[in-house]
Amino acid sequence: MSLNQLSALEVAARVRAGELSAREALEASLAQIHAVDGQQGSLEQKPLDPSEEQKVHAFIRLTEDLARQQADEIDRKLSAGEDPGMLAGVPVSIKDIFTLQGIETTAASRILWNFKPPYTATSVQKLIDAGALILGKVNLDEFTFGSSSESSAFKPAPNNPWDPSRVPGGSSGGSTASVAAEEVALSLGTDTGGSIRQPAAFCGVVGVKPTYGRVSRYGLMAFSSSLDCPGPIARNVSDAALMLQVIAGNDSKDSTSSVVPTSNYLDALKEGVKGLRVGLSPDYTHLFYPDFETGELAMESIQKEISDSVQHAASVLADLGAEIVENVPLPNAKYGIPTYFVVSRVEAASNLHRFDGVKYGYRTPVEVDDLQDLIRRTRAEGFGSEVKLRILMGMYLSSEGYAANYYQRALKVRAMIRRDFDCAFDPHGEHRLDVILTPTTATTSFKRNDVFGNTVRMQYSDQMTVSANHAGLPAVSVPGGLDADNLPIGIQFIGPDFREDLILRAGYAYEQATLDEAWRSVRPAVLRQEVAK
Amino acid sequence: MKDYEVVIGLETHIQLNTQTKIFCSCKADSWEAAPNTNICPVCSGMPGVLPVLNREAVHKGALLAAAMHAEINPVSHFDRKNYFYPDLPKGYQITQFDEPIGKGGYLDLHMPDGVTRRVRIHKLHLEEDAGKTKLDHGLRLVDFNRCGVPLVEMVTEPDLRSAEEASQYLTQLRQLLRWIGVSEADMERGHLRCDANVSIRERGSQVLNTKTEIKNVNSIDAVRQAIIEETKRQIELVEAGGRVVSYTLDWDADTGKLSMMRSKETEADYRYFREPDLLPVVLTEEEITRVKAELPELPLERKARFEADYGLSAYDAEILTSERGLSDYFEAAVASFGGEAKTVSNWMMNDLSRLMNDLGKTASELVLTPALLAEIIRMVEEGKITAATGKSLLRKVEESGREPAQIVEAEGLAVIADSDALREQIQSVLDGAITEVESFRAGKESLLGWFVGQVMRATGGKADPKRTREILLELLRK
Repeated sequence: MSLNQLSALEVAARVRAGELSAREALEASLAQIHAVDGQQGSLEQKPLDPSEEQKVHAFIRLTEDLARQQADEIDRKLSAGEDPGMLAGVPVSIKDIFTLQGIETTAASRILWNFKPPYTATSVQKLIDAGALILGKVNLDEFTFGSSSESSAFKPAPNNPWDPSRVPGGSSGGSTASVAAEEVALSLGTDTGGSIRQPAAFCGVVGVKPTYGRVSRYGLMAFSSSLDCPGPIARNVSDAALMLQVIAGNDSKDSTSSVVPTSNYLDALKEGVKGLRVGLSPDYTHLFYPDFETGELAMESIQKEISDSVQHAASVLADLGAEIVENVPLPNAKYGIPTYFVVSRVEAASNLHRFDGVKYGYRTPVEVDDLQDLIRRTRAEGFGSEVKLRILMGMYLSSEGYAANYYQRALKVRAMIRRDFDCAFDPHGEHRLDVILTPTTATTSFKRNDVFGNTVRMQYSDQMTVSANHAGLPAVSVPGGLDADNLPIGIQFIGPDFREDLILRAGYAYEQATLDEAWRSVRPAVLRQEVAK
Repeated sequence: MKDYEVVIGLETHIQLNTQTKIFCSCKADSWEAAPNTNICPVCSGMPGVLPVLNREAVHKGALLAAAMHAEINPVSHFDRKNYFYPDLPKGYQITQFDEPIGKGGYLDLHMPDGVTRRVRIHKLHLEEDAGKTKLDHGLRLVDFNRCGVPLVEMVTEPDLRSAEEASQYLTQLRQLLRWIGVSEADMERGHLRCDANVSIRERGSQVLNTKTEIKNVNSIDAVRQAIIEETKRQIELVEAGGRVVSYTLDWDADTGKLSMMRSKETEADYRYFREPDLLPVVLTEEEITRVKAELPELPLERKARFEADYGLSAYDAEILTSERGLSDYFEAAVASFGGEAKTVSNWMMNDLSRLMNDLGKTASELVLTPALLAEIIRMVEEGKITAATGKSLLRKVEESGREPAQIVEAEGLAVIADSDALREQIQSVLDGAITEVESFRAGKESLLGWFVGQVMRATGGKADPKRTREILLELLRK
């Protein structure tokens, strides 16, 4: 087994034991990136060599020098007998929406093409302090606005390592692709409506959206401030637990970060699922979306292989002693996407106000008439079309005369979605659930350019994930099989506030019980080609 | 011409005197700082950073609300006011919209003619300040130092009826802000800023007509003048058959003229919504009780007490309560002196106040403590030193920091009441003023005062005035 296939836990253990140097771990990771990643995302629209079609393109920017310094520092600490940290020598990628001091942070947008922040995001700093090696910044949908990573201004956009003609999902597509392609062991992503879990499902990796406030948002460029959650992406549940342990906790720089103490997530994994009450909901078996002709809510079943995976997971957990509770009503989940549409766009429009070309980032090179002209042109040239669409919608939805009908109403629906979960998790209620088991997505990964451009259809790929964001609850997507096209399927566990330990326990128990299932030995296509060469 | 009355509402921005800005740890005050040297990623609105509320700003805001008789909101919220302007680096201002820290409230104006006017408060909320821009040789320059400075925005109802009332409101507000210690309230430094909304109507009418808003007025006198000018302009306009248009007007203090800045016919839509980066501001019942308990006796209450308890005139009481430090000084001096409060008041109103003016010091900055002042007054009252010596002691004590008794001793300033010594001094004065002595003896008795003055000069003011007079008369009439 190559070094790059090792889990983060294993790498850290070997480095800490002196069996592997951080420098060796780093060079192995760089070699893998050079082998499978291909051309990095860039603003210049260069013609691509056909061979690039088979590459991952997860990275926008490699930070080799920084990573080498970090690796040497860890090796120095080890030889000096100092503690190099829980993530000593573990290669990590960072979604390019988190600031890293002195390193360009672009949000995959032209408007920030040259922005070097003078501060580092708290979650990134925690990774560095724990001994992780920061290999680089990975691609995403522009400002995280999308579910395929195709809206990035930095092209080529990432491909799905399981089938490079397909998308890795999004917006944390670069993160999940880099982890699935074994370029890094861990990646830091963000989840606003499903942006960690959906691409984790598409790429066959584990993605955790922690409870809102569990991980600091400081240094995360805001999309929708009341929904955004940084979270771990890993190849297995214990690595995700390890990474969560490192990045979780209160931060004096983020007023919305919680003072609730963190659990020991790794220890919790071993507790198993015996007696855990696992809920299944009939409201997570279909997609609901507005019919374009009639405006009525239409219904579509989710992909059969995915529902089968959920059923299978339920029976695995039942065999392990969990109690399966069926027919848990979560009736407002179907309004998750329209509600998200309103809330996230109103906040996004405001959050993006600051990009005006005055202080940093892109500024129009055109001679301008006045200040208004400067701002207008800079934003017109600097933002991509998905971003503009969201700003326009956000402004419309929050403007006087419309806000009450849309924004205020969406906040009410959001509260109703939350109430559904409160009932399901109520320890004195009818269902008394510990976790809820659902599909992560309604379909497996789609072809590039297949959905991109249809912004309404695109956002319905977050239907299964978005309610946890509305409610602020923790949720994890774990690999749950492959479909007929050998594309990964994700299953999701949603838990009560600050009970990341519960969802990780459930995910871990399922993962360990299914280690011998045939689909687990299938490797992503880009890694199969590598072996064939 | 019809009989018009002016209807005025004032919108004030009050800079709170906290140590740090409202959402970051930059210093709140950057008066002396070079542009863009007192900034950080938070107040300059860099992407990804988050505001963290300064509780001191909340506390001072609540204290001001209590002083304005407003209800302190136990749960208030911050909201975003969205607009583009280069001095607003986030593109939105964090402010309080529909659930501000204070609700209601009023300030009673005591006009010089004895009329009391109650000015109701329409809005009282916390917010962050924006930066500044200026044009320099065709370049638009931006200074972010002021971004994030904590402000209270306080808006009155249209309850003011003259430029004088507006100026009285600001005078009393400024006094109150300093009194409760929430702001330096220096208008020239922008600690207290004022926009005036002005409209006119026929006296007796209850309608509110179209108003104009005067901005950029940075002294109380300028507010008064600008309102007078604008009232005159509106009356002339209406008398000539015109119509007042909703405009923002800019006041030029140098020329004393108003100019149109922009039309306000179409109001901007700020798309307010709750600031998701901050939690609701919760003030527990206990905290609210503590704020109210912390509120000191307010100027008007103290003034009334000074008149009642110390028998001061309304005028003296008003002067002595114009500033909290001064009134505290007065009470401490009275307590230490133990005698007539009126005596202390006289000393403070005249000689001490002159000294403070000369030195540019406030009462609380004086080296001459209330106890030292009391000691000087006591020595004068007991005849140990003359009043003239007492007056000169004020400055000596202030400058040297020494005890008054020590100075009297060291410099030999005690009254010369000993008859022989005094008689000797007086005789030598008379010996040097033969002509005047003759004139006096020839009947020009009004010269007595002149002789007293000469004796005082010769003794350095130490001669006992009563004894001097007696001896002078005795010797001159010989």
